[in-house]
Amino acid sequence: MNRILALLDKDLADLRQNPALFVPAVLTGFVSILLPFVVAIIIPAAVGERLSDSSDFAIAVESYQNQPSMRGLDPEGAIQAWIFQRFLVLLILSPIAGAMSVAAYSVIGEKQMRTLEPLLATPLTTFELLAAKVLSALVPALFLTTGCFAVYGLGVLLFAQPGVARTLFAPSSLATMFLLGPLATLASLQMAVCVSSRVNDARSAQQIGALVILPMAGLLVVQLTGSFLLTPKTFASICLALVVVNAGLMRLGIRLFDREAILTRWK
Amino acid sequence: MLAASHLTRHFGPRVAVDDLSFELVPGEIFALLGPNGAGKTTTLRMLAGLIEPTSGSVRLNGDATSRRASSRLRGQIGFLTEAPGLWERLDVRRNLLVYARLHGLANPARAVDEALDAFGLLDRANDVAGQLSKGLKQRVALARTLLHKPRVVLLDEPTSGLDPESAREVRELVVRLRDKQHTIVLSTHNLDEVERIATRVGILRTRLVALDTPTALRARVYGKRLRVTLGQAAAAFAGTLTAAGFHDVRADGASLSVALDTEHASVPLIVRRLVESGADVYSVVAEEPRLEDVYLRLLEGAGA
Repeated sequence: MNRILALLDKDLADLRQNPALFVPAVLTGFVSILLPFVVAIIIPAAVGERLSDSSDFAIAVESYQNQPSMRGLDPEGAIQAWIFQRFLVLLILSPIAGAMSVAAYSVIGEKQMRTLEPLLATPLTTFELLAAKVLSALVPALFLTTGCFAVYGLGVLLFAQPGVARTLFAPSSLATMFLLGPLATLASLQMAVCVSSRVNDARSAQQIGALVILPMAGLLVVQLTGSFLLTPKTFASICLALVVVNAGLMRLGIRLFDREAILTRWK
Repeated sequence: MLAASHLTRHFGPRVAVDDLSFELVPGEIFALLGPNGAGKTTTLRMLAGLIEPTSGSVRLNGDATSRRASSRLRGQIGFLTEAPGLWERLDVRRNLLVYARLHGLANPARAVDEALDAFGLLDRANDVAGQLSKGLKQRVALARTLLHKPRVVLLDEPTSGLDPESAREVRELVVRLRDKQHTIVLSTHNLDEVERIATRVGILRTRLVALDTPTALRARVYGKRLRVTLGQAAAAFAGTLTAAGFHDVRADGASLSVALDTEHASVPLIVRRLVESGADVYSVVAEEPRLEDVYLRLLEGAGA
C-alpha cells in the first residue's frame, strides 16, 4: 500500500505541475452542466412556453407521480426535476472523458519519459504500479465529479423551480453520482491503463478506453427516451456488474502488463 | 555474491545473450564491454531481475533473481539505467523521495537528505529536474540508484554523454563504492574509463569473448613486451637481440619492442646485450598496449 501511495503522490504532484491536462475535462463538465439548464430553463424562457404545456414530457410527470420527493412540485417543477436527474449520467461522463487522457498516458508516458525502467527496477509490483496509475486518474476525476455536482446543485437551486434541487439529493441521485459514477469511471480508467500498457501510442489507448463511455451514453439516451428507467434493482445490478468488471479488469491488467515487451520493444 | 550461470536470452529467433557465466565478489568493478547490440543492456536487465533469462540463472547471495522472486531481491540491487529517467516536472528532492518510499526505507526523508548531502546536491534539492544539466541529472540518478544502499550496483553507461569533469566525478564515485565493498557491474563503451577503474573486464559479443583483468587480457593478446628507447636508430640493434634468443623483436625509429618470456630474467640480459653492442639505452619500460587495441583484437578474433 505504501508503494501505491508513493507513486500516487508522485503522479498527483506531476499533474499539479501540468493542470492543462484537465482543461478538456473541465470544459466537458461545464457543457454537461449547461446542457440540462438549456433544455429545462433557458429554451422555455426564451420561447415563452412552459415545459408542462408540451405533451412530450407527460412521461416525466407520470414517472414522478409515485415518488415522495415529487409530491411538493408542480408539473413544471416535476419535469425540470426529471430532466436534471436524467442528465446526472452526463455529469458522470465528463470526468471520465477528462481522466481518460491521464490514464491513457500513464504507462506510455513513463516509457516515453524513460522513467519506467528505473521504476520497474524497484520492488514495485505490477499490481502496485497499475493501481497507482488508475488511482492517479481516478482521484482527480472524483474531485471533478464532486465539483461539477456542487455547481450543478447550486445552479438548480438558483434557477429551477422551488423544490427541484431537493430531488437531486434523493438517495437515487446521490447513488448515481457517487457510486455508479465512480465505478464506471474506475472501469473506464482501468481499461485505459490496460491499453496504455499494451500499445505504444497514448492516442490509441485513449480511443480504445473511450469505448467504455458508450454504454454509459447509451444509458443516458434510453433514459431520456423513457424506454428504460433506472429502478433501484437495475441500479444495484449495474453497480454489482461494475464491481465484477473492475475486479476482472485489474486481473486482466496485471496479466496483460508485459514488462519485458515494454522494456525491450517499445521505443 | 553475484553469479551468472549460463545466462542466455533469446528475443524470438534472435539470440541477444548466449551462455554467459561469471561470478563477482564484493569490492569488484566488473566492466562489460562490447559493440552496440552485443547484449550488455540485456545482461544488466537480467542481472537486475527485470527480464527473465531464456535459460541459465542469476544468483544474488545464493538466491535466484527472477521476476517471480523479484520484489525483495530487486531491493538489494541498484540499477542505473542508460537514461537518468528523472521525472522532469518534479524537483530533485521529490524524485528521490518517491524512490525512498518505493524501497520502503524506514525514514525516507532522512535517507533523501543523506543522499543529497553525499552527492553534493543539497543546494539543488528544490530545483526542477528538467532544468538540471546532463551531468547533474546523472548525479541525481546515481543518488537514486544508491538511496537504499544496495550491495550490488549495475551501471549502464554511467558516463555516456557527460563532460569530462562530470564523467570524472562519476568514476570517482564508482571507485568509492568499490572501496566500500560494493559489487559493481559497469556497461560502457568508454575504454579509457575501464582502463582506469575496472578490476575485471568481460568482452561481450552475444557470447563472452574474454573475461579477465585488464593486465591479463593484454598479456593474452600481446604477450609481455618490453619497450627499449635508444640513442640511435633501433633497427641496427634488432639483430643483436634476435641473436640472443629473442624471437619477436620489432624496431620503430629509436625504439625496440621485445617480446618477453619471463620478464625479470630477460630485462638485464637485453640491456647488457644492447650496451655491449654499442647502443645508448635511454629507457626500458614494460610495454602496455592500449586496452582499445586489446579489445579490438579480441573482437576480431571472435569474428567481428
